[in-house]
Amino acid sequence: MLQINHLYKNYGKFPAVQDLNLHIPRGDLFGFVGPNGAGKTTTIRMVCGLMLPTAGSIAINGVDALTNLREIKKQIGYVPDFFGVYDNLKVKEYMDFYGSMYRMNSFEVEKIMNDLLELVNLSDKKEVYVDTLSRGMKQRLCVARCLIHNPALLILDEPSSGLDPRARVEMKELLQNLKGMGKTIIISSHILSELSEMCNSIGIMNHGKLVTAGKIEDVMGSVFGSNRMIINVSSDMEMAERMVKEQAGIRVESVGEKEIRIVHSLSEQEIAQMIARMIGSGVIVTGFHQQEGSLETLFMQLTGGESGDET
Amino acid sequence: MRLNPIVKKDIRVQARSMKIAWGLFAYEAIMALVFFLAMSVFQVENSYGGTNIYSQIVMLYPMLAVTQIVILVVVVPVITASSISGEKERQTFDIMMTTSMTPFSIIAGKVTTAMIQGLFFVIAAMPIMALAFVIGGLSWAYLLWFLLIAMLVSLFSASIGICCSALCKKSIVSVIMSYGIYVVFVVMTCLPNILYLLFGYGSGSDPLTIGMFVVLLFYLLNPVYYLVEFFMWTMTGISGAYEMFSEIYDDLSLKIPFNASVWHYGWMTISTLLFLLVSFLFLLLAAKKINPISKGRARKLVQQQMQREMHG
Repeated sequence: MLQINHLYKNYGKFPAVQDLNLHIPRGDLFGFVGPNGAGKTTTIRMVCGLMLPTAGSIAINGVDALTNLREIKKQIGYVPDFFGVYDNLKVKEYMDFYGSMYRMNSFEVEKIMNDLLELVNLSDKKEVYVDTLSRGMKQRLCVARCLIHNPALLILDEPSSGLDPRARVEMKELLQNLKGMGKTIIISSHILSELSEMCNSIGIMNHGKLVTAGKIEDVMGSVFGSNRMIINVSSDMEMAERMVKEQAGIRVESVGEKEIRIVHSLSEQEIAQMIARMIGSGVIVTGFHQQEGSLETLFMQLTGGESGDET
Repeated sequence: MRLNPIVKKDIRVQARSMKIAWGLFAYEAIMALVFFLAMSVFQVENSYGGTNIYSQIVMLYPMLAVTQIVILVVVVPVITASSISGEKERQTFDIMMTTSMTPFSIIAGKVTTAMIQGLFFVIAAMPIMALAFVIGGLSWAYLLWFLLIAMLVSLFSASIGICCSALCKKSIVSVIMSYGIYVVFVVMTCLPNILYLLFGYGSGSDPLTIGMFVVLLFYLLNPVYYLVEFFMWTMTGISGAYEMFSEIYDDLSLKIPFNASVWHYGWMTISTLLFLLVSFLFLLLAAKKINPISKGRARKLVQQQMQREMHG
């Protein structure tokens, strides 16, 4: 769906985006994460045709975005991070305005508007003035607006910023519905817990470079591997710790009140033998399992601990 | 015909705000003030000179018309100067730019809105203007001419305003810049004439020559002279252009070709076309400025990309 090749953007001498290569397949819900100033918004603006790259190419559905901008605009729905409204405009007029900007007539807009307002749960607000809506409602209306011309690719820049928890949940549900409808969605966000629940693939940017990108499980696997374990111990922690440390091929990462986190290079059989020895020595082992990395840990690890406002 | 969506939206939004009502109130109040001032002057002159007040009422036309033109010149740039920068301040501009609207149609929509708003004011003041025609005995055709002139003034002012709005980030800066450009137009078109009279005359050569002829052509782009020519012809039947150029022809011992009427209509036609052209150039510049990815730059980038790929 979206293919970015060797994309660069410099602001004067400052490189905002450097050699960005990215492929997002059709139907993906792609989470674009990175600390503030990493180059996410710059990349999004270049994809939307709001900014000319310094070098590189962007293609949407195989169509070059730079030379066929008019065609590309029909395929993109863009929701910016800040939702500006016009005073004295009703919800239905707002939708009609943007529909007519895509050369749709009032009849066509009316037909699709009802479905979209129902999708974003604003059917009963058609006659309400936009500036009187809550922030969450405005954000959902903005999503409905960007769908008015039935684009294949939705790009949302920080869609949940400034929303209350309830509005965030509603937004998440809405995006999952859209994914179910086969839309390709790119979300730039700081709220990593939400992204990890919603997205099936991610890209992490730092200092203008794409650090990693791909399916969430592939990215997690490549970074964390499968050699991290947590051993839960309910008694004789000192002995358990000593036995683990004595075992070759194991490095103790941390020791908590009732758990030991290790990184190992052992086979499954060797791990099982070590656990058996611990139980044989009187240590009560209540469980042991593979340590799964979270998006937060992944993000912190890949960006060297730099975090955004809400990471 | 499909109405520009921006015009439809902007007119709807503005019609619902109190600004337009207060604007019309202020406009009508100024017109009423000028009207009563003029009537009191006519009455004083009438009581001392014993002239017929009805013959003086015709003078209401230029007074009210000039007042309206001045208001348009002041108000229209304010409307357009804040239109693009206002969208940017409201952060709705980016969304607009991702739609299928071309930068030129966005600009055209904003300018049309400003012109329509200007015409709201002018048409609302028509009943007062009509007094000069009913009682003063002027031809009704001049009312139509005035409407066309008001439209041209609106377009010219709006195009300057929108260009400044596209160039500046802050609305207030673009408003000031718009007035600045207006002043430049008035002053710069007089400047060749002033310089010629100062230095051409001082160097011993006669100022009334072919050089002077060329210098006077700059007045074709002078908004003030445009109005002077129009009102002078309407009220007295004298063409300023004809008078200026006949002096040069006399000095060159030549007979001026064509009569005053041809000179007047010719001058007004050329001047109008030039103002339309300049307005169009301002609109093009504004459209180019707001376009983040111009075709030329994009094509250049793609060519560079291809060359890079070929070389390595």
